[in-house]
Amino acid sequence: MSPILDIAAFNSVREAGLAKLVPTAPRVAIGMGTCGRGNGADGVFNAFASGIERSGMDVRLVGVGCLGACYQEPLINVRLPGGPLLVLNQVKINDVPRILHDLHRGTISPESIYCKVEAWDHITGHISYGRGYPDVPNWDEVAFFKGQKKIVLRNCGFINPEDIEEYIGVGGYQALYKVLIEGRPDMVIEQIKAAKLRGRGGAGFLTGNKWDFLAKAKSEQKYIICNADEGDPGAYMNRNEIEGDPHALLEGMIIGGYVMGATEGIIYVRAEYPLAVHHIQRAIDQASEYGLLGDNILGRGFKFNIRVVEGAGAFVCGEETALIASLENRAGRPRPRPPYPAQKGLWGQPTSINNVETWYNIVPIVTKGATWFSDTGSAKSSGTKVFSLVGKVHSTGLVEMPLGTPLKTFIYDIGEGGSTPGRAIKAVQTGGPSGGCIPQEMFDTPVDYESLQQIGSIMGSGGMVVMDDDNCMVDVARFFIEFTHSESCGKCVPCRVGLNKLLRILNGITRGTVGMRDRLEAMEELGRMIRDCSLCGLGQSAPNPVLTAMRHFRDEFEEHLRAHRCRAGVCQDLALSPCENSCPLRMNIPRFLQLYKERRHDDAFLSVIFDNPLPASTGRVCQHPCENRCRRTSIDAPVNMREVHRRIADEILFTDRFDDLAARVAARKLDASGRKVAIAGAGPTGLTAAFYLALLGHDVTVFDEKSEAGGMLRFAIPEYRLPRAVVRREVELIERLGVKFVFDTRIGFDIPLNDLADRFDSVFISIGTWKESWLYLPGTELKGVYPALPFLESSAKKEAVRLGRRVAIIGGGNAAIDAARTAMRAGAEAIVVYRRDRKDMPAIEEETVAAEEEGVRFMFWSAPHRIIGDAEGGVKALEMVKTRPGEYDKSGRRRPIMTDEIQRIECDTVVLGVGETFDTDFCRASGLALQEGGTIVVDRFSLETSRASFYAGGDVITGASNVSNAMDFGKRAAKNIDERLMGESRWEAIFPTFVYAHKVPDEPNHAARHVSPALAPKTRAKTQDEVVVGMEPEAAWEEAGRCMRCDIKVPAGVS
Amino acid sequence: MPQKKISIRIDGELVTALEGQTILQAAQEAGKAIPTLCYLEGLSPAGACRICMVEVAGTERLLPACTTPVQEGLAVTTVSARLTQYRRMTVELLLIERNHVCSVCVSNGHCELQAMATSLGITNTRYWYDFPTLPVDMTHERFVLDHNRCILCTRCVRACAELEGANVWDVGGRGIHTRVTSDLAQPWGESPTCTSCGKCVQACPTGALAEKGAAVEEMTKRTDRLTRLAGSKRAQP
Amino acid sequence: MKKVKVATVWLDGCSGCHMSLLDIDAAVIALAGKIDIVYGPLVDAQEFPEGVDVTLVEGAVSSLEDAHRIDLIRQRTNILIALGDCAVTGNVPAMRNKVPVAKLLQRVYVEGADTGKVIPTDGVPALNRHARPLQEFVKVDIHVPGCPPPAKAILGLLGDLLEGRKPAANPKVKFG
Repeated sequence: MSPILDIAAFNSVREAGLAKLVPTAPRVAIGMGTCGRGNGADGVFNAFASGIERSGMDVRLVGVGCLGACYQEPLINVRLPGGPLLVLNQVKINDVPRILHDLHRGTISPESIYCKVEAWDHITGHISYGRGYPDVPNWDEVAFFKGQKKIVLRNCGFINPEDIEEYIGVGGYQALYKVLIEGRPDMVIEQIKAAKLRGRGGAGFLTGNKWDFLAKAKSEQKYIICNADEGDPGAYMNRNEIEGDPHALLEGMIIGGYVMGATEGIIYVRAEYPLAVHHIQRAIDQASEYGLLGDNILGRGFKFNIRVVEGAGAFVCGEETALIASLENRAGRPRPRPPYPAQKGLWGQPTSINNVETWYNIVPIVTKGATWFSDTGSAKSSGTKVFSLVGKVHSTGLVEMPLGTPLKTFIYDIGEGGSTPGRAIKAVQTGGPSGGCIPQEMFDTPVDYESLQQIGSIMGSGGMVVMDDDNCMVDVARFFIEFTHSESCGKCVPCRVGLNKLLRILNGITRGTVGMRDRLEAMEELGRMIRDCSLCGLGQSAPNPVLTAMRHFRDEFEEHLRAHRCRAGVCQDLALSPCENSCPLRMNIPRFLQLYKERRHDDAFLSVIFDNPLPASTGRVCQHPCENRCRRTSIDAPVNMREVHRRIADEILFTDRFDDLAARVAARKLDASGRKVAIAGAGPTGLTAAFYLALLGHDVTVFDEKSEAGGMLRFAIPEYRLPRAVVRREVELIERLGVKFVFDTRIGFDIPLNDLADRFDSVFISIGTWKESWLYLPGTELKGVYPALPFLESSAKKEAVRLGRRVAIIGGGNAAIDAARTAMRAGAEAIVVYRRDRKDMPAIEEETVAAEEEGVRFMFWSAPHRIIGDAEGGVKALEMVKTRPGEYDKSGRRRPIMTDEIQRIECDTVVLGVGETFDTDFCRASGLALQEGGTIVVDRFSLETSRASFYAGGDVITGASNVSNAMDFGKRAAKNIDERLMGESRWEAIFPTFVYAHKVPDEPNHAARHVSPALAPKTRAKTQDEVVVGMEPEAAWEEAGRCMRCDIKVPAGVS
Repeated sequence: MPQKKISIRIDGELVTALEGQTILQAAQEAGKAIPTLCYLEGLSPAGACRICMVEVAGTERLLPACTTPVQEGLAVTTVSARLTQYRRMTVELLLIERNHVCSVCVSNGHCELQAMATSLGITNTRYWYDFPTLPVDMTHERFVLDHNRCILCTRCVRACAELEGANVWDVGGRGIHTRVTSDLAQPWGESPTCTSCGKCVQACPTGALAEKGAAVEEMTKRTDRLTRLAGSKRAQP
Repeated sequence: MKKVKVATVWLDGCSGCHMSLLDIDAAVIALAGKIDIVYGPLVDAQEFPEGVDVTLVEGAVSSLEDAHRIDLIRQRTNILIALGDCAVTGNVPAMRNKVPVAKLLQRVYVEGADTGKVIPTDGVPALNRHARPLQEFVKVDIHVPGCPPPAKAILGLLGDLLEGRKPAANPKVKFG
């Protein structure tokens, strides 16, 4: 090819390029970026190549760049003459013969198509591919692409990056031609200024001003540099841009070279991007060949050359002075500015350095004008930005959005929400190691330079890493500091030593070896100092991940430090195993499973009861968070830990082994301490505290307003789920430890708190949420409207409740399901009305399934509107408003939005299962500080209230929760009360130790998950008999053997 | 051509400076002391230690006095609670980074780091010591390099390059693993480029570079001679 | 007037700081009227008493026993002073930190010994991996660096404390 010297030659190349893009034969374009190749695009390409050769069909096969939807790779697009471009996703080698067959018969089967492109705006040109396939969504109708605006990525995924003619075919190099013909460099710079384009490398300096500096600098030699040293973890937009569309970069740089009067252009690209290096080098060769680089560009007498320099991989070389040092063959260390590179840059000559993406925006601005460009984006940040959306979102990839788009659009609309069901998204990290963690509450923040900076993060190069409950924010902060620490050049003290110190503190926190609280303050102080005093951008921004994580997730830091707990289960040194870590009581689950497997039933029971004093009750009604974390899930299904645990408890509690084992528990009691502790409330929290305090040798008295112990276990959970006998037996064991119970006595009413203070050394308040919370709904005054708890309580006491024939239950929690099943057992029909989706219900899944089996009906996305009464003041019907899913809330569920549609169900009874509350007014009078909502103020870790020697825990400080969470408070309260009373920790002394096998199974056993047998729905729905009968011993034994023993930690490399 | 005179304010006081001067030079001429560690008059400034950070009106960012040029109307604050806190933290970080055991050091009593700690009123560090294991290079016949005492100010590097022209010293490694190295990281005694002039030893602010045979407290440095030498070199045509 | 209860403690150090304390010479007479030395190498008491007003600690924490002692001392002391570089920075005792304990003992007691090449075990506390400054174990109220701190500095400090003043920063105090 001879150099293009006139417009005729240019146009003929353009024609040739267009003919390649819209050929008269079928064209197959394979996404061959690094992301596509990583997912097998190479194999797909080869399969097409050999298939085409074998069949002798006339099919044009090319490799193209990436379309951005990385989670759908390998992506290919196919086009039959006259038809639209059809994008096929996740194409496997096996699919190739079918696709070729489709091409042969002239139509592509619609079910295999991801989306279609009928026409495409390349900005520099427009291509109409053709119409057709009405049932296939257009590309901008697919959630991932909706709202995206492709200016930078205008050609990626469409043209063959290794063919200059295709680039010219879509209007490439026209802008350059125009600039050279017009010959007004100053006008171009004015245009870039007017477009308000800001540097895309992170700092956001106005590009026009930067160019102006270099244009005005007087020197024989001037350099322009493209900074392609992309190094942020999780960011790869520059790589894909260069891989998919290298000529657009060259064109932007040649224009830049011309208007700034530069003599040479350099692309500094990291060596870890071999494909990008290959494509850009090839593009330079082709451009030179076509006369677009060299001594006489496009025959207009302009001389300019571009060369590629590969960086050796130091992150700090992304900093401009370090990059220049690297280009000068010196070690990549930054130097103080001023002088700025525009004054004294490469080899001491004026130099302008711009990020890859900045260069990609030049051609569109020159082509379409400044106003067109600044129409997109926000007032101060115009244009678009490419973000790499990765992490815990469903749809990942490169997303080009107008600046100013709120974060939530990225995460919930384009990313389509979380990647793991049941895990709420809690934060997004923007800007890589220089950026910060933004919590879910702040997802309304628009993504532009100023807004992100205001909340402590930065936009940076555009990395966007989404995190959910499985991510530990302390560990995330630690990760980024480890990264910047190892990439620090070591020149200035704050960055070199400060980051090392910060890392050591963070390592200590994640390993549980740092216990001092003042370390958080030390970290904040150090972070600020590193930020304010470091020499270059690396150090100045390095503390951002820590500072923002500490600002927005301080709870997690404190929990690591003070409770040695990592809820996400990431910091392995703080956990025994994922199940233990997720258990509110932190039961040593692998231990009791192993003991049971060794058929040591007594030991298994002791292991269980010392971790959990109500093992038979929790074995029936616990929410079992352990199963959500069980690693066996990755093979088949989680270990049924709760049912084995129940089996272990039942085998002792309800057999003649009881007396013996109860005596063995009591034998571990420490000597009498002479201290007296009062506990208000005999629910799970109070009983748990009583158990441990008695073991610790204290004289414990439990007060309760009811006539029997057990709280919610006894009076709220129906008999068919948790028989009374079970709770009674557990309470009996606690009584045998010497705990005294005083019933029918309400603390704060029958006995003032001040009296307790006189008579006892310590008081623990663990009253439950017994006060019904009423829904403010027209018609709740009608006869036949009951709150769920009193309804269940009456039923538990076998009191008569006047129940109608059709009962409507409002709510989605356990109380609602319990009420529905109780109503069924009373002979009524039950229908549960819930304002969100089924999967959003807080009730235990198994219970919902059981209710469905028993014939309870459900209505989802339906919110109560009013209760309609009849002439006698009774209930006639319930009217609801249909809801629809709205935005995601903090819990990771979609908020219900009211619609105009009214629904109605005829019913004669309405049960309100919408939550419970408590009555704590009596506390105020006795000097206990309360929160606004009425919960008692306590120290989150020590559970101390505002009054000395008074503690509180359970629902009364958190609001209604569940059994195991409530018991956790009792356990922690006992430990803290004892420590405070005795002046030392004696906690460990009460626990027995066990010797058992520590061997990881060579192979996981093949047993499938065992489920406890249940009574048949038809028969059980009419009785109070316990529905789930519990596992057979052999089934439980086999189930215990399914455990993979995550508690055994073997150093890497040791088998 | 005579340099243009400009006016700046240092801690509120109006001071005349010459265009092209740094804030540090202007302050020193006006008799205002800004603490420094990696700076040595006569050598090019490195801006590495960050002790001389000052506040400049109109910008949130702190700037190093040793490399920031003066501009007409500049208003500089050299002493503030924040600056003092940061200077102390910087010195504390240097004290914990390596093994500075003043009581057995040849430079005890004549050490710029020790003096800086004293003048900032540092009686302890708020961070924990690392106690790294670091080598001592005893291979040179006249001098010793003890990495335990090095603060990476690079004054030796610059003195060797700019005053002696031998370019023996450089900095190797990165981050916390950064070390001063001679030639291609070979033992100092095997350096083919070292002229044994001892300028690096005189430039070193601590006991990291010292003469062999010096006992505790015996090593005094004559940095003034280097400054004078640099001045006379500059005066040569 | 009630006398101020002062204790002195000698952990891993050379006793130089105690020597420096004794170097206050004649001032000791004036001081003696105001303070009671209730514990330390200079007096007979066997157990660290409760309710000490001021404790001067010389030396680094080098063994588990040192760590236990400093815990108890902290509990029973109002104002805890780290006296001298060993207590403040680790100083000379910490110079062994880069050598593993077993290797260190081998070098000193076996390779370096002329006779009785045995590593002592009876009646000597086992060494910790590192000798470390006091503040890494307990909260220290005042640090007085120096090897040793000059007598005048100690005297000035005690004077300030006896007068109920916040101790003035002493320009004479330096590391080393």
